[in-house]
Amino acid sequence: MNPNKSSSFRSSLKQELPAWVQEGIVTEDAAQRLTSLYELDELRTESSSLLAAVIFTLGGLLLGGGLMSFVAANWEVLPTLVKVILLLLLLLAFHLAGYWLWHKKNWPRLGHALVFTGSLVFGANIGLMAQIFHVSGEWYGAFGAWALGSLVMAYAARSWMTGLLALVTAVTWFQGISHSHPSSWMAAGPLVLTAVFLLLAWQLRSRVLYVATHAGLTFMLCTLAAERYSSGKYVLATMIVSGFVAWAAGEFHRVKTLRPEFGNPTAALGILILGGSAYIWSFHWWWRERDWALDSSNVVYSPRFYWALPTIIVTLVGIGLVIRMMWQVNAVDSRKLLVLGISVASAILILCALIGGANYGDQVLLTVSVNLAALMIAVVAIAIGILDERRLAFWTGTLFTVLLIISRFLEYETSLLTKSAAFTLCGVAMIAAGVAYENHLRRKEAIV
Amino acid sequence: MKKATGFFLAAVVLQVLILLGVPARKAYTRMTGRDVVLKVAPVDPYSILSGYYVILGYDISRPADFPNAPKFEFDEVIYAIVEQQADGLWKPVSIERELPKNLPANRVAIRGHWNDWRITYGIEEFYIPEEKRQVIADDLGKNQAEARVEVKVDAQGNAALIRLRIQDRVYE
Repeated sequence: MNPNKSSSFRSSLKQELPAWVQEGIVTEDAAQRLTSLYELDELRTESSSLLAAVIFTLGGLLLGGGLMSFVAANWEVLPTLVKVILLLLLLLAFHLAGYWLWHKKNWPRLGHALVFTGSLVFGANIGLMAQIFHVSGEWYGAFGAWALGSLVMAYAARSWMTGLLALVTAVTWFQGISHSHPSSWMAAGPLVLTAVFLLLAWQLRSRVLYVATHAGLTFMLCTLAAERYSSGKYVLATMIVSGFVAWAAGEFHRVKTLRPEFGNPTAALGILILGGSAYIWSFHWWWRERDWALDSSNVVYSPRFYWALPTIIVTLVGIGLVIRMMWQVNAVDSRKLLVLGISVASAILILCALIGGANYGDQVLLTVSVNLAALMIAVVAIAIGILDERRLAFWTGTLFTVLLIISRFLEYETSLLTKSAAFTLCGVAMIAAGVAYENHLRRKEAIV
Repeated sequence: MKKATGFFLAAVVLQVLILLGVPARKAYTRMTGRDVVLKVAPVDPYSILSGYYVILGYDISRPADFPNAPKFEFDEVIYAIVEQQADGLWKPVSIERELPKNLPANRVAIRGHWNDWRITYGIEEFYIPEEKRQVIADDLGKNQAEARVEVKVDAQGNAALIRLRIQDRVYE
C-alpha cells in the first residue's frame, strides 16, 4: 500500500476523523491506525494552505536574492577564495536550514521552499563561479550542470518544485546541446530524460511534474525534428505524436485506475497539443505551394533514421497504450469510440504532414482532411464532457468547433452577410448546446 | 543516520562538487600555468559588450595570422604555438595538431578549437562587474592597440584568463 500523504488530503482526513468516530463510521482503533498511517499528529504546527506555500516560497526567493545581491555588492573587494567560500556557505545554509525545518521542526512547506530556493541558488552559483574564474564555454553546459544537481536533489528531498526546476533546466540543456552537437547518441536524450522525470513524478505523486514532463517530451522531440530534419512537416508530425501519447497515457491512467489522479490533466494536455496543432495547420496557407524547409544550415542528412527513432518509439508506446485500453474488459463501448476517434484523428494528421511535406502544389484534399481531423478532436472533447460530466471538456470542445467554423469563414468568405449568418448560427448553436448540456447534467444529478 | 538524511546530504555534496567542478580546470591552470601576455586584436565593435562579459579576440584567434595555417575540421582541437618577443608579448608562430613536446623555453603551446573563421581558446569571455562594464568597453574601444591580457597556460596547453591591462589600467 502506498498511502496518499499530500498535506491537503491529510488535513481533510484529520478534520473529518473525529466526526466519523462519533457517528460510528470508523472505530476508535481504526481512527488510531489511520492517524498513525497518515502521520496526522505531525500536521499541527503548520498551516496547510496553498497561500502559506506560496508565501514561504516567495520569502525564500527574496531571501536568496537579497543575500546574493549583498555578495554581489561587495564583489570587487572580496578575494577569490572568500567569494567561493561565501557562495558555498549560502548554498549549504539554504539546504540544511530547509531540511532541518522540514524534518526536524515539522515545518514541511517552509523547509520545502528553502530547499527549492537552495537549488535556485545552486544555479546562480554556477554562473558566478564561471564569472570568478572567467570560464568560457557553451551556455547550455551551465544548464546541464544545474539540471543534474537539481534532479538528484529533487529525488533526495522528494521535492516536486525542485523536480520542475530540474525538468526546465534539463530541457533547456537538451535544446542547446542538440543544436550544437549532432552526435547520434543525442537521439536518446528525450527518452532518457522523460523516463527519469516520469519516475520522479510517479514517486512524488506529483500531477504537475507528470504533466510538465509530457510537455517537456513534446518540446524535446519537436526540437530534434526542427534541428535535424529542418522541415515543418516533421515538426507537425512530431507534435501530433507527442499529443497522442500524452492523451493515451492520461486515458490509460483513468481506464486502468492506475494513479488515476494523473489521468485527466495528462489527457487534457494531449488534447490541447493535438487540437492546437490541428488548428494551426487547418489553414489552407500551409498546404499551398509552400516550402516546408526551416533553416537548412543545421540539417544533418545522415544518418536520418536515427533522429526519428525517439519519435517512432514514442509512437509505438502510444499505440501500445491504446491497444491495452481497447482490450480492457471494463472499458465501455462509448469510451472505445472516443479512443478510436482520437487515434484516427492523430493518424490522419500525421499522414497529412508526411504526404504534404513531400509534395508541392495546392493540396486541397489534405487541407480538408486536417480540418476534419480537427473537428473529430473537438467532437471527442464534447463527448468526454457529456460522458464524464466534465464541463471544461464540453466547453473546450464546443469553443474549438466554433473557432474552426469562424476561422474558415474568415479565411474564405468575403461576404459580410454570409459571415453574419454564420456567426449568428454559431452563437445560437452554442447557447442551445449549453442549455441542453446543463439540462443533461441536472437530470443526472436528479437521478443520483 | 536515517537513509533519507544520508541521501539528502549526498545530494547537497553533489551540488557542492558540481560547483567546485565548474572552475576546477581554470583553477588548476592558474596554479600551475606559465605567464603569457597576449595582444588584444580588433573585435567587432558592435559585439564587444555581450551581457555580463566583454568579448576579446587575439592575434592567435585569426587563422590567417599563422604562417602555416592549415585547414582543420570544424571544432577540431589544435595547438597554437606562440613565442615570446623582446617587448614581452607572445606572437603566433604555427598551428599543430598534437601537443608538441620539448618546446624551447621561449615558446608555449595553447590548446584551442578550430571554428573555420576563428580559433577559440576559452579565454575570450572576460566577466566584469556591472558598474565597470561600459567603462571597460569604452576603454577597449578607444585604446585597443594597447590592450593586453595576461593568461596562464598549463602543461596540457589549457589557458586561463587572469587580467586585462589597458595602458596602466588593470581590470580583473
